[in-house]
Amino acid sequence: MSQNTAIVPNNQLVKGNHDFASITKLISDIPQERTPLWWYIAFGISNIVMAVMLAMIAWLIWEGVGVWGLNNPVGWAWDITNFVWWVGIGHAGTLISAILFLFRQGWRTAINRFAESMTIFAVMCAGLFPAIHVGRIWAIYWIFPLPNSMQLWPNFNSPLLWDVFAVFTYLIVSTLFWYVGLIPDLATMRDKVKGTISRLLYGTFALGWTGGNRQWQNYEKSYMILAGLSTPLVLSVHTIVSFDFAVSIIPGWHTTIFPPYFVAGAVFSGFAMVLSLMIITRKLYKLEDIMTVDHIEKMNIIILVTGTIVGFAYAIEFFIAWYGGVEYEKFAFVNRAFGPYAWAYWIMITCNVVSPQFFWVKKFRRNVALTFILSIVINIGMWFERFVIVVTSLAQDFLPSSWGYFSPTYVDVLTYIGTFGLFFTFFLLFLRFLPMVAISEVKGVLPQANPAYYRSNNGKSKTTE
Amino acid sequence: MRSNSNQYGVLAEFANPADLMDAASAVNKAGYKHFDTYSPFPIHGMDDAMGLKESKLGWIVLIHGIIGLLGGIALQVWSMDIAYPLHISGKPYLNFPAFVPVGFAIVILLSAFGAFFGLFALNKLPRLHNPLFNSDRIAKATDDGFFICIEATDPVYSEEKSTAFLKEAGAIHTEIIPK
Amino acid sequence: MSMDHHHTTLSDRLTFPEDNKIATGFFAAGILGVVLSLIGLFVNTEQFFYSYLTSFTFIASLVLGALFFVMIQHVTRSSWSVVIRRIPETISFQLLWLGLLFVPILFGMEFLYEWTRPERIATDELTQYKQPYLNIPFFVIRNVIYFTVWGFLGYKLYKNSVAMDLSDDPALDKKQRVLSAPGILLFAFTVAFASFDWLMSMDSHWFSTMFGVYYFAMSFQSILAVVIIIVLYLFRKGLLTKTINNAHIHDLGALLFGFTVFYAYIAFSQFLLIYYANIPEETLWYYYRFEGSWIILAYLFLIGRFVLPFVLLLGKKAKTNYKLLMGVSIWIVILQFLEMFWIVMPILHKGAISFHWLDITLLLAFFGISSGLFFRHFGKHSMIPKNDPLLAESLNKH
Repeated sequence: MSQNTAIVPNNQLVKGNHDFASITKLISDIPQERTPLWWYIAFGISNIVMAVMLAMIAWLIWEGVGVWGLNNPVGWAWDITNFVWWVGIGHAGTLISAILFLFRQGWRTAINRFAESMTIFAVMCAGLFPAIHVGRIWAIYWIFPLPNSMQLWPNFNSPLLWDVFAVFTYLIVSTLFWYVGLIPDLATMRDKVKGTISRLLYGTFALGWTGGNRQWQNYEKSYMILAGLSTPLVLSVHTIVSFDFAVSIIPGWHTTIFPPYFVAGAVFSGFAMVLSLMIITRKLYKLEDIMTVDHIEKMNIIILVTGTIVGFAYAIEFFIAWYGGVEYEKFAFVNRAFGPYAWAYWIMITCNVVSPQFFWVKKFRRNVALTFILSIVINIGMWFERFVIVVTSLAQDFLPSSWGYFSPTYVDVLTYIGTFGLFFTFFLLFLRFLPMVAISEVKGVLPQANPAYYRSNNGKSKTTE
Repeated sequence: MRSNSNQYGVLAEFANPADLMDAASAVNKAGYKHFDTYSPFPIHGMDDAMGLKESKLGWIVLIHGIIGLLGGIALQVWSMDIAYPLHISGKPYLNFPAFVPVGFAIVILLSAFGAFFGLFALNKLPRLHNPLFNSDRIAKATDDGFFICIEATDPVYSEEKSTAFLKEAGAIHTEIIPK
Repeated sequence: MSMDHHHTTLSDRLTFPEDNKIATGFFAAGILGVVLSLIGLFVNTEQFFYSYLTSFTFIASLVLGALFFVMIQHVTRSSWSVVIRRIPETISFQLLWLGLLFVPILFGMEFLYEWTRPERIATDELTQYKQPYLNIPFFVIRNVIYFTVWGFLGYKLYKNSVAMDLSDDPALDKKQRVLSAPGILLFAFTVAFASFDWLMSMDSHWFSTMFGVYYFAMSFQSILAVVIIIVLYLFRKGLLTKTINNAHIHDLGALLFGFTVFYAYIAFSQFLLIYYANIPEETLWYYYRFEGSWIILAYLFLIGRFVLPFVLLLGKKAKTNYKLLMGVSIWIVILQFLEMFWIVMPILHKGAISFHWLDITLLLAFFGISSGLFFRHFGKHSMIPKNDPLLAESLNKH
């Protein structure tokens, strides 16, 4: 019988010499410190940008969707592009919190809270666009199956209605998942903060959590089930978003690979967004011990994989457009690459297919500055991907006499920019008042958390007094 | 028996998760039923050490999921086929493939409600007052402390014997929590 | 719960017992299948080639799934799967021979692929249009490329792994990862195009961008089932019972559950999009496969390949219930064969399911030879990669 070789130690998930108390302190001190000056500045700017968005939406509702650059062939443009882009960004949060949890990837604990919060705020930004693009927003409740005087019901054959259900479910389930994860940490905050009011507030939201194992048992089960539910949900949400396009017969929209291709694209852009935010935050809050370069490297690998899937889908789509021999389909794809929107197409290819290829090299994967730049580049690329899909197919479809070209108005541009104000307003509030790293989960992946640690040779021997 | 009516129980602190687990196992074997261990994170293997049964949450979620499935189908069948049948793109009124996305979303939504509210129901949360918090030390359970509390309601409980038992099991500190 | 990392010993025997005659048995069955099928070749040539393609794409889907399984484990550096990795490694080693088994199809192309028939090319505009891609020389070249790529990957990954049994050279482990990362990329393109060539082009007008993903989804679900069957077979023989534990089985069961959902997702999405748009050039493919009694199989896949395994494997305990897992896994592999049958056969037998004895004999031939090869190679080396740097971690999984 063969003897085994020695174990190769995995990279430690938490760097530095941390114990349970120092982890608690590292994270729970952040909301208790004086608010830093940069926070006020950033929050102020976010508020102003959000106010611009609100003004634009008010103007849109007052005046009608004509204030956007939409025209007759192009009935969807920035609104739906922005919607798909924001929803996609949200997906990384669920992927990190749910799918990586099911695959028992311990490294997710450093970033899951962060990414989940991003999900919720991104889905809020996303949901805004379909809501305001309906024209008569005061009748928006018609999308819900509510009894009304006309005895009409929503059309369950419409993918647009599927979207309503999918996005609402996604927002609610993500929020529940996020809150369940927060409860033990809110209890930690309750037990740490000094002020009576903050103690009362954290205590209220911690709901009386004690950390008893009888609670942990149900908690772990609930967390596991929510992760199990979120995993198919996150796939279904972007799948249904892709159905918005793919069940139609518009050339360039109707292609069967859309569901998995949209999901991969969503994860791709979402991870890029998590990286952009994380790289800034870990610097500002000195969390380099918890959000380590190893995390960045792992996320870059996922970016490389999903980016390559997206590139694969582009290639297959192009091939089948030729192979299928349908004239309109062929035209749609050639037109994307060489037609009036060729500039957008080549931005998309450069950002989405070319730029992630850097990450084949380990040195680049571990380079924080390069990662930051590429993460922004990828998000630009993914915005253009949605723009290319939505606009090129509509602008030049079956009938050349009705072809058109879309140009955004200032309302289009400012509404989109404004959603960043909305996003960062919430995100900054989250950074300021909530534990931004899942404290209990990070403790759970420390080697000291495993009872076996104290029984093996390198741990301390059993302590008794 | 003596009156323990003014006590909530005895709280013992342990040095680390391993000691806590050994102690929990001992407490369980000694026949105590009303006790719990408190730790800043869930400890792998503690459920077995304490002799806990499987969580019932899975069943709660399953029931919610089934209600969601039936409800989702009923909603769509009723509104598309019975209440206001509309002919859309040459598809039958009962267009089942089209009912999958919404049906699925409703199943997930209801199951998630089951997992969320079921968690609170099983954990008896939110709770306005818990005598456990009369102890100053228990706050460490959300930081770096590991505790066992044997409650006074336990038939085997006795102030002296239970305290001594926990000390023997390796407690580094014990205290009686008043009600 | 032993967590003593430094002295993990393997207490099982690591080689497949030599006195086990299972490989010989499979070979005998395979040869019987070959002989009977050869008779069939003369009795009903057309049917022979359709049955041949069915069994070939069935076995190929399993072997390709195994290759992907091995590569993804290397890329993600997963430790849990180390103890079972030799099984898919040995399966994907067969890719070296699979190319030979493809050769007969080249002789039956006029039966299988309408785009090769001169009268079709002369009259059908779309077939003429597709000539630059769908022509025999290019078809052969493409298949040579596919089998070279797969054969190389399967061979290298197996040989490196076996070489590591003898020397615990960590450079070999690194090699596996360096091979696997671009390997997955190559795999994605080759499998997609192979599925277009082998199956999609049988209906030469039809196209679906999802088809490669669909073939992959089926193959990965099936290979998980196959790995479970083999592990449980080994258990029944008393092998590796102390090496592979319930945690590994549970993970395999969970993966099978997950990829059952993935299969359903891909298959349903492809169907829904084509059904919804309702364009004639696309719907015909489903039309033939839903026509007459063929629809029974479509429903069987919905119920049997998704609903049933989903419900049965949902619970936590089910994923370590050996009997249940074995039953579900065998069932899924059978359905994988039937799904290949359902994709290939409606072209020959329009309107009604029609089984031919050649379907059985060719399945016997392919399955017998393939399983025989597996057990023969499996017996030559240790049943687990015994010097893998992550083995200790895998053994200590609980």
